[in-house]
Amino acid sequence: MTDSGFTVDVDQNQYLPEGGRDVNAVVTVTSGADVSVAAPGGGAGSAEIIIIDCSGSMDYPPTKMSQARAATAAAIDVVRDGVGFAVVAGTSTAWPVFPPDGSMAVASPASRAAAKQAVTGLRANGGTAIGQWLGLSRRIFAGYPAQLRHAILLTDGKNQHETPEQLAAELSQCEGVFSCDCRGVGTDWEVKELRTVSTTLLGTVDIVPDPAGLAADFASMMENAMGKQVADVSLRVWTPQTATLKFVKQVAPAVDDLTGRRTQSGPQAGDFPTGAWGPGESRDYHVGVEVSAAGVGQEMLAARISLVAGAEVLGQGLVRAIWTDDEALSTKINPRVAHYTGQAELAEAIQEGLEARKQGDEETATARLGRAVALAHQSGNEDTAKLLAKVVDVVDVESGTVRLKKKVEDADEMALDTRSTKTVRVKK
Amino acid sequence: MTAGALDDGLMHDGNTGVTCPACGSQAGAADSFCESCGTELAPPVSSAGPPGYSAQCPVCSLDESAAPGVISAEGYCESCGRKVPSGRDHVELNLEILAGVSDRGLRHSRNEDAMALATTETPDGPVAIAVVCDGVSSSPNPEDASLTGAQAAVRMLLTSIRRGDDPDEASMAGVRQAHEAMAILGSPSRAPSATYVSVIVGADAVTVCWLGDSRAYWLATESESQRLTRDDSLAEELVADGEMTEAQAMASPQAHVITRWLGADVVTLQPHIARFEPPGRGVILVCSDGLWNYRPEAASLAELTLPEAFNDPTSAADALLKFALDAGGMDNITVVLVPFPLVRPAPLFKEAPS
Repeated sequence: MTDSGFTVDVDQNQYLPEGGRDVNAVVTVTSGADVSVAAPGGGAGSAEIIIIDCSGSMDYPPTKMSQARAATAAAIDVVRDGVGFAVVAGTSTAWPVFPPDGSMAVASPASRAAAKQAVTGLRANGGTAIGQWLGLSRRIFAGYPAQLRHAILLTDGKNQHETPEQLAAELSQCEGVFSCDCRGVGTDWEVKELRTVSTTLLGTVDIVPDPAGLAADFASMMENAMGKQVADVSLRVWTPQTATLKFVKQVAPAVDDLTGRRTQSGPQAGDFPTGAWGPGESRDYHVGVEVSAAGVGQEMLAARISLVAGAEVLGQGLVRAIWTDDEALSTKINPRVAHYTGQAELAEAIQEGLEARKQGDEETATARLGRAVALAHQSGNEDTAKLLAKVVDVVDVESGTVRLKKKVEDADEMALDTRSTKTVRVKK
Repeated sequence: MTAGALDDGLMHDGNTGVTCPACGSQAGAADSFCESCGTELAPPVSSAGPPGYSAQCPVCSLDESAAPGVISAEGYCESCGRKVPSGRDHVELNLEILAGVSDRGLRHSRNEDAMALATTETPDGPVAIAVVCDGVSSSPNPEDASLTGAQAAVRMLLTSIRRGDDPDEASMAGVRQAHEAMAILGSPSRAPSATYVSVIVGADAVTVCWLGDSRAYWLATESESQRLTRDDSLAEELVADGEMTEAQAMASPQAHVITRWLGADVVTLQPHIARFEPPGRGVILVCSDGLWNYRPEAASLAELTLPEAFNDPTSAADALLKFALDAGGMDNITVVLVPFPLVRPAPLFKEAPS
């Protein structure tokens, strides 16, 4: 292992009762002030694409399109000299706005000015086929050697002009090629649809209810992207032959279930993508393993968690299981495991509650959103508690007794939905 | 697992001498090296585990049709994940005139204690040498620190006594050697560390050298039993300053905070050296805190150990280990016993009619 600037820490209760099989651990990956990895297959530096929805609805109200142009210009201003960048416009098809030949430009004062000039010509007219937009972006990335490939996607509507299958097929081609942060402007877009895009492409999703907020949001997303230094980092999880890896979830800063993203990397090991990393980041992962029970006093390595970039191992942590007949040891629940179990349940309760509300199942909606209120309160997740209070009237916060509000702003409901996965951390 | 003088490959030949295992020549019982080929006849032994020990998964190795599993650097089976015994989990050493046992205990996943023993003949009679080190759990790789230190020290102590050094000088050379060997395992910011206690038992005196809280005791029935070391620990300092009774200090959270140790982060080596002249018959006990935590007073340790240890230090050491395990086995446990006065190692000794 080289001194990569990354650390991997494991927090768990390693003691199991006699016959116990469930091992849970919270793995914290932290990047130091200085992170660096030798570029795995040549190609250095980064590339950025800004994807702008130019469908007809972007003109209602007309400020949406003008704010989208301003936001794109703001993001272009943040692209550092030497970074490859492009702007793509999307309707039911997609075309390169800058450079117009569908290549990547190298950022400089001159190329940034030319790109901003090209963006002023964007007009709203046409449909929405997000798969087309992603497909063009993927081809542009493919023609430019860069280690860090990132896109920002803005839309205001549902993916109406292609089938869900077409979008899914394109998404699976983009997976691993570039990462993508998604923003929905207004309230006519589909949270679930955009969340599928952002989670597959290891990015964030959020609502920008007022177009006036776009420019600041775009600039900050681009600044964040410019800070990334190490691309394509994976968690490699080794487990014993007789064990089952039940789940691998990112749990901070937001819940993202990576279990289904496994790529086999050895006879007993699988890789789970974590995307790109900048300096000074910290993310938590909840790993659940079911091992075969061993006798009291025995010890087992339940999982070895390695952080890898290409062939390089950046850090490593061990998840252990020790069987004991001392109940004081085996019944102790690790506070961080408990906390993140609650945060994952919170996100689930919100999403299920909102879905039930949409379907007109008020009973389920009230029960699930009530549970969410109680969980948000117990865990000190104040941001989520505030968002919940715009959708339900809280009668008793401890027990999670709530009444559904009769009138809820669409933007509030969508904000709660998109931000349901945001978690808070506990101190060790 | 037993590694000791009788299993060392030397063919003991009555009381008169030994046969060199390398060339078959006869050598005198007092010889350190074979006169013919130079092979060391009574090499020191340590708790490194039996020679040639190869780690094997206790579970996967039962399946004879399967290929032998790989054991990871951390000591786990790469196939089933099981922790593989290191060879240091339980080690018994028997050099006839002294014996020791080192054990993982019940709560720790590995044995971070180490011991090393040696005997030699001098013009003044036999000499027994023992070193016990207890790895500092809060330091990296404490199990390497303790074993490396104990092995380096016993080798230097033996060389020093064989060439006729004064026991004080030999003790100083031994602890310095242990310190240097441990220091190269790490750096000041990342220092594998361990406590240290050595005893050199000669015809009429015991020389003790230590840092930290591993101890040496004089146990006797005909004279007063007493502790020969004074811990370098916050607890001992609080008791010495009169701020607490021993019982209070041992119950306090600082009980096990040690103030001196060996390792790369130690700038000035400050060992204690003490000389004790036994007033008569007794036993020298050298141990880690895994034993004395449960019975710190010399008199009660003597009750547990005597008179059995006079004739059979091996089973007396086992009995002390069993006592510590029955009391909870919270820490690694290492016990070495040296009956005094020393008797010449003689294979027939144990079989003599009692």
